[in-house]
Amino acid sequence: MYWTGLSPDEARQFLANKDKSKRDKRISLKEAVQKYVKDGDNLGIAGFVNARQPIAIVHEIIRQGRKDLTLSFQSAGLAPEYLCGAMCLDDSKNSIKRMELAYLAHEAFGISPLLRYLTEKSLVELEDWSNYNMSARFKAGSIGLPFIPCRSPMGSDMLKTNRAVVQDCPFTNRPIMLLPASHPNVALVHVQEADIYGNCRIQGPLFTCPEISMASAHTIVTCDRLIEHEDMVRYPNRISIPYFSVDAVIEVPYGAYPGNSNGLYYYDEKHIPEFRIACEKFRKGDRAPLQEYYDNYIFGVEDTTGFINRIPLSQIQYVEKIEPGIRLDAAYTVLGS
Amino acid sequence: MPKYSEDFTPQEMIVVAGSRTLIDNKVVFAGTGLPMVAITLAQLTHGPGIVPVFEAGAVGPELSRGLPLSVGGSRTTYKANYLLGLNSAFELTQRGFCDFGFIGGAEIDPYGNLNSTMMGSFPDGYNKPKTRLPGSGGASDMACSCERTIIIMVHEPRRFNEKIDYITSPGYLDGSPNARWRAGMAGQGPYRVITTKAIMGFDDETKRMKLIATLPGETVTSVQEATGFKLIIPDDVYAFEPPTVEEVRLIREVIDPKGYFVRKKIKE
Repeated sequence: MYWTGLSPDEARQFLANKDKSKRDKRISLKEAVQKYVKDGDNLGIAGFVNARQPIAIVHEIIRQGRKDLTLSFQSAGLAPEYLCGAMCLDDSKNSIKRMELAYLAHEAFGISPLLRYLTEKSLVELEDWSNYNMSARFKAGSIGLPFIPCRSPMGSDMLKTNRAVVQDCPFTNRPIMLLPASHPNVALVHVQEADIYGNCRIQGPLFTCPEISMASAHTIVTCDRLIEHEDMVRYPNRISIPYFSVDAVIEVPYGAYPGNSNGLYYYDEKHIPEFRIACEKFRKGDRAPLQEYYDNYIFGVEDTTGFINRIPLSQIQYVEKIEPGIRLDAAYTVLGS
Repeated sequence: MPKYSEDFTPQEMIVVAGSRTLIDNKVVFAGTGLPMVAITLAQLTHGPGIVPVFEAGAVGPELSRGLPLSVGGSRTTYKANYLLGLNSAFELTQRGFCDFGFIGGAEIDPYGNLNSTMMGSFPDGYNKPKTRLPGSGGASDMACSCERTIIIMVHEPRRFNEKIDYITSPGYLDGSPNARWRAGMAGQGPYRVITTKAIMGFDDETKRMKLIATLPGETVTSVQEATGFKLIIPDDVYAFEPPTVEEVRLIREVIDPKGYFVRKKIKE
């Protein structure tokens, strides 16, 4: 048995020694990536397919360059695709060694061209799991268990190449699948709202963001809006990630663009295909469009503000316009009143 | 006005067949694309009480804000009755709260096992596949733990193979008695296979795929010719009722007016 990232005992020890104080954790995204993301790390990528993916963090990692990364996620799209693209363009600067994944593609927008490119050329190592498996592995990590039992996907070929163990349940005597916990070195998380201490309030589905953060040694959070701490603690049971699980908080409006951030902006149905088509052309041998994309939107800008400045304002307004908005209303009407 | 549509597309046929297969008041775990259209059509026709569940967390939302582009997108969450994350959605499924799951794959074998991981030799060629596919996502979890699954496929000989390269989502495995139970699975397995040419089910004894109905324009022979393995052909195969004008109108005008899923070309 081997562990990628931290072993359960290392993860426990790490947390035992961690500063859990309630302190202002605002730093720049540049500094956060410099400080917490190292070559060879296992990165837990939060979000789900192209919703609330940590795009701003991933672009900054690409600008700085990190090598031999392991990426762990359930279903993801843009975040790993961007890292794959950076590796395709210059693997002396950015590279992925391994992915522990359930799905890498873009649903209605199409398949992941660079997952195809890198795996068909045998340039990355894969470990296939199901969505529930990856989510449950993060959950095991987040609750301090070395493994978690699970009833799917028994009978799948995934079990022949991943680290799951099937054995008889000691209570029912029926076969059950045991999954090793996942403890990434760093969780990369984008949320709508956070306070300066790192408390996060997620709007819409939580995906597996709380589990990924709580399982990881470090968590970098970008948020669309920093909000007053008093407003955060007004609804304590709506805090999805507690502050002591977070190391760095950075306000990055549009930090999940061109993906969806529930309540704030919808998928950009123009920009996602623009990037995906450049990836598809690379896979088919035409490198220039992908290089141009990265030069224009990632290497040619300082940060997410620079990236957004290169998107037509009307396009940004449209993805905001079609998103219904956030309502957090604790009031109610008594039935029959 | 004629009752039946005369210009429906293969996708619309799949949607109508999927919709008619669903039962009112059942909980249906939905994937992206055609399954969402089928569920919405069923809700607007015979199944207003169908409860959709999306793997990213939403349970029982209203889909009236437009068709979601993703099972994790905002449009899956509008007026949802429960909303946490992936763990909660799959825990519900494992517990037995999900009656039906809609899944698909790149290839299928006679026992309803599906491949959505890789083409090439396995396990030797796992890290150098001929074609790498997106991976399981939640399909394999649905295949194991929804009480029944409905499989949606494009009907081409190369997708229907006696032996598939990789089992991502298990059906009846090798078809041996109680294979799923012995492997430790909770759900009962594949219920229907809905394709661009036919509706199929599985033989109670051998668990091999059997033809139930042919879709408009198809015959028993044309369906068998498009299938890379021998189908069981019972005596009571019937011709499926074509999409009605009203069903097609609902799909085009109400459910998917932008044509995200039903006007998309069926890919190679």
